[in-house]
Amino acid sequence: MSSVETHRQPREPGEWTGARPAAASGADAGGTPRARAESRDWAVALLVETGAVLSSSLDLATTMDRVARLTIPALADLCVIDLLDDSGTIAEIAAASADPALAHGLEAMRARFPLDPGGPHPVARVIRSGEAELRAEMHADLLRSFAQGSEHARFMIENGYRSAVVAPLTARGRTLGALSALRLTGSEPYTADDLALACEIARRAALAIDNAQLYADLRAVEGRLEAVLENLAEAITVIDAQGRTVFANQAAVDLLGLGSAEDLAEAKPGEIMARFRVLDEAGRELGLSDMPARRIFNGEDAPPLLVRNIVRATGEERWVVVRASAIRDPATGAIAFVANVLENVTDVKRAQLAEAFMARTSRVLASSMDYGTTLKTVAREAATYLADWCAVDLVGERGAIERVAVHHNDPEKLALAERIDRLHRPSPSAQTGVPDVIRTGKAVLFNDIAPEDLARYARNDEHLRLLTELGARDVIIVPLAAPTHALGAITLVSSHEGRRLTEGDLDVAIRLGRRSGTAVESARLYTERTRIARTLQRALLPSLPDVPGLSIAASYRPAGELNEVGGDFYDVVGCGGERWMLVIGDVCGKGAEAAAVTALARYTLRAVAMFDPQPVKMLHALHEALRQQGFGEQMCTACVATIEPFGNRARLTLALAGHPQPLLVGPGDSVHPVGEPGTVLGIVDPVTVREIEFELRTGQTLVMYTDGVTDAARPDALETAGLERLAARVGGLPLPEMLAHIERSAVERASGEPHDDIALLAVRIAAPDDLT
Amino acid sequence: MAAPNHLQINARRGSDRLILELVGELDLFSSSTLADAIDLHERAGMLVLDITRVSFIDSTGLKAIFSARREAQARGEQFAVTRGSPQVQRLLSLTLLDEHLVTLPAADAAESVTAEDGAAAGSDRA
Repeated sequence: MSSVETHRQPREPGEWTGARPAAASGADAGGTPRARAESRDWAVALLVETGAVLSSSLDLATTMDRVARLTIPALADLCVIDLLDDSGTIAEIAAASADPALAHGLEAMRARFPLDPGGPHPVARVIRSGEAELRAEMHADLLRSFAQGSEHARFMIENGYRSAVVAPLTARGRTLGALSALRLTGSEPYTADDLALACEIARRAALAIDNAQLYADLRAVEGRLEAVLENLAEAITVIDAQGRTVFANQAAVDLLGLGSAEDLAEAKPGEIMARFRVLDEAGRELGLSDMPARRIFNGEDAPPLLVRNIVRATGEERWVVVRASAIRDPATGAIAFVANVLENVTDVKRAQLAEAFMARTSRVLASSMDYGTTLKTVAREAATYLADWCAVDLVGERGAIERVAVHHNDPEKLALAERIDRLHRPSPSAQTGVPDVIRTGKAVLFNDIAPEDLARYARNDEHLRLLTELGARDVIIVPLAAPTHALGAITLVSSHEGRRLTEGDLDVAIRLGRRSGTAVESARLYTERTRIARTLQRALLPSLPDVPGLSIAASYRPAGELNEVGGDFYDVVGCGGERWMLVIGDVCGKGAEAAAVTALARYTLRAVAMFDPQPVKMLHALHEALRQQGFGEQMCTACVATIEPFGNRARLTLALAGHPQPLLVGPGDSVHPVGEPGTVLGIVDPVTVREIEFELRTGQTLVMYTDGVTDAARPDALETAGLERLAARVGGLPLPEMLAHIERSAVERASGEPHDDIALLAVRIAAPDDLT
Repeated sequence: MAAPNHLQINARRGSDRLILELVGELDLFSSSTLADAIDLHERAGMLVLDITRVSFIDSTGLKAIFSARREAQARGEQFAVTRGSPQVQRLLSLTLLDEHLVTLPAADAAESVTAEDGAAAGSDRA
């Protein structure tokens, strides 16, 4: 137990040398109890060593074990450290002795006979009181008095317990346990100095224990915090000043599409970011310096940033809101870390973008009946929003598949895409791709197209080469769906650079296909209907007969291109003998139905003209015909005149039904509206129409017109008074020129797009050499 | 094709009547709006179309007014309009449809006096 070894330098902190410190006197090194009592230098050395042991970052049990060993043999023959745990139990944590058997024996005692915290054992008493105790001389009776039973007493007596100091382990006002130093028979009894030394060692040990417990608590808190972070739905990463990711929870690993948190931790700064294409909302590439964490380290403002991450390897796309906040070192206030909270807003953002995209394309599709142009815009929008390139194919009249629009975000590849299409139009009977989608009406999504898939699809080597150059990883093909069948297909392709096409994209594309299909269908129907109506109307405009002694001219201009065909009509027919009927009218309404009613009006008037050529009767007949026809309520205005030339003049009978008064122009610049207002035909009973009679002389022109000319006084249109002034000015011109002037003026006043048809019918006495 | 609708209809209820105030243009595009409004509102003994603030009527608009009139008559209701803008009045007189309408000086005015005037005007021409 008191063997002497030579002192070795240097010594590791806490390394047990078994030697009394060299500071003890002489070569004998204070090997006897007396010597150690004579010099306190070893005590100072012991404290220094204790400090070194305690500042090492070993676990608590090991540290305490080393502290206990340090006291042997200079301070104690046996040293025990007991701790009070949370449950109030006293448990030995370290025991040391020159004879390992003694230390083990003590440990066994403590295990079998735990000290009663409320009992008389000095350790229990010191822990209770916080006051150190010195038991310079302990006799068997005393030992028995605080033993935990006879076996414990026997152990102490047989091992020769002689003298003891028990020092409280006190930190921050709490007694954590006690350090007991014992000397056995043959050693000097303890003095007050020894007690003071034990107390100092105990105080330092207590601080270390307290720190260790604080640290353990902190670890426990951190562990809990980490568990909380791990399980948070929000992805969290912590970045250090060097830009390394020192922490990432599972949500972050998932969100960033990484293998593991370790993967992240081992990555060099910037390496993680390099795995993504990081774009802002406008599609601009972002760099490390744009990231909020970097901005915070740079002392800049770091508002939340919405970024679009595309994993380069897989094309997976994520919309993420990055919020960063600084974690400061409590001591220095410097920014130690930045915590990023990454909110995955992919679903919300996609839905929002999809809606905006659909709204935009719907507006485009509704903006014009020219679907060739609108589909080009749709292809461009789709390429920008959904993929890298987009093509629209329609089934043409003879069943061939025609590409009507193609767009690629990369202009160079656009040329390539166009070339492929030109060289390798798919056969309508092909069992794959666009023809298949058109035939089945079923949308398809292909992800991660392998080179061999492409090879199977390609029609020959050259086709394959071009397709490979174009690059296609993911493809969506959706039908351009009309209610009953597919009119064509929309193809969306993302290249290896682009983002992955998802089921969500497929849904958006299907909606786009449906909306585009409807637009194409209605444009086709509209074009068709307009074509029919215009054909019908042209058929209804008669060629004017040559009437001896009269010159007659007419003009007709349909309403603006985007307006439907109106129901204006005019006619000139012979009533037998010298009498002719002139009529101009306007059927209310537009389109094919108005054209049909116009036909009814015209043929009714012709029929009546043949056997009862009086304007009033003709108008009544027309009214009855309108009341009885099968198209529902129809309204019509008309101006009917019969004209009978005699000599160099003509006798006119004229009646109006809801129609503007014709103008009698001339001689000179005089202009007079003629005719009695009459009830519009077809909607009320009875109608009131009255005839007037007058003569048309040489130099006069009767101008009949429909209200498209004055456009029923739309604010911007030619008004009746304006028309009268104009007619006076142009009354001297040859008839066709006169009408051309009036028509042009009316069109100009309607800013080139008249709301209504413009029809004019004019008659004058023929000059001897005027054959018109 | 998008149909611009420049017509707004404000409905209100008088003691004995439903008044539909038409504001804007009554034309090809907006006539169906009037028909819808008439369908929508619960009826009273009299239907008044207040056309004072109608800036423009075309032939389709005239037809819509007379559809409303016919429907009111079919239900045994009285039907009246207010005086329209000069353009509207001109169109109504050009087509002589004014003779077939009871025209009130105001939407809330009692209809008896003007109704007789309207009827008198109609019979006068007949």
